[in-house]
Amino acid sequence: MRFSLAALALAGMFASPALAADQVAKAPPDGDYRKVSELVKLPDFLPGLGQLFVDPATLPAGPFLAYDHDGSLVSTIYMLPVADLTDKDKSFDDLAAPGGAVDHVDVYFNAGHPGVEMPHAHVVLWHVRAADEARVAQ
Amino acid sequence: MIATRRTVLRIGGVILAGLAGTASGSTGEAAEIAMRGNEDGSDVWYDPVGLHVRPGQTIRWTNHDAGNAHTATAYHPHNAGHPTRIPQDAAPWNSDYLLPGESFAVTLLVEGVYDYFCIPHELAGMVGRILRGGSVRRSQTAQRDHRERFVARCIS
Ligand SMILES: [Cu+2]
Repeated sequence: MRFSLAALALAGMFASPALAADQVAKAPPDGDYRKVSELVKLPDFLPGLGQLFVDPATLPAGPFLAYDHDGSLVSTIYMLPVADLTDKDKSFDDLAAPGGAVDHVDVYFNAGHPGVEMPHAHVVLWHVRAADEARVAQ
Repeated sequence: MIATRRTVLRIGGVILAGLAGTASGSTGEAAEIAMRGNEDGSDVWYDPVGLHVRPGQTIRWTNHDAGNAHTATAYHPHNAGHPTRIPQDAAPWNSDYLLPGESFAVTLLVEGVYDYFCIPHELAGMVGRILRGGSVRRSQTAQRDHRERFVARCIS
């Protein structure tokens, strides 16, 4: 019994391509993530967000993984174009969420930036307490 | 941060290097336009959104938005198929993306109304207008530059 459970767990690990939280806890994250500032012309550290990584295949939605100045993961961000959110034929399904426990969530409008060049919503899953958002304020 | 990047437009097969300051006879201070955004990126704009410039006066855009990149891009078919909203004889410009602290400057050699936009923020309404006044140097400029109507240069 113990053996079969272990085998199941093992099979589950290999069946799923999803990254575990410890694979993304520190910058740079494992997998196909690349530094956003190397993909498009944006500052390397964005005030309020941090240093961003994304798998280009997942643009524009992401997830984007955001790190503080010490390279620790602070949030997972999805960027959802307003035009898509109001299009009855579009949806965002099965977005990856490798960042682990979520403390709180922010949702707000963004006018656009290189990489996601249209008005969109930022959905920010913070993995740190609200007081620790200061780690990426500047 | 002086002249780490210089952009020169190629017009009619002629490369117009380094003429911006002299071809049109610089008249006084450059007109400054700031590219701005609020803290969470929910609003972006040119400051001022409209501007009148004298003949020969250089216009300089500078990105003062710490969290974003912006462009100053003329409404013209050369720029991603946009409609022409600059004078008939004027050449279009495109600053390309400016990171925080970077600048781009043009001197407009043709009188008239110029509309321009920001590539990543046009949909968010980041557009501006320049009125370039009548030229006291029109004949002089025309003699010297009748093939070379426009010069752009970028100073970072
Ligand atoms: Cu802009």
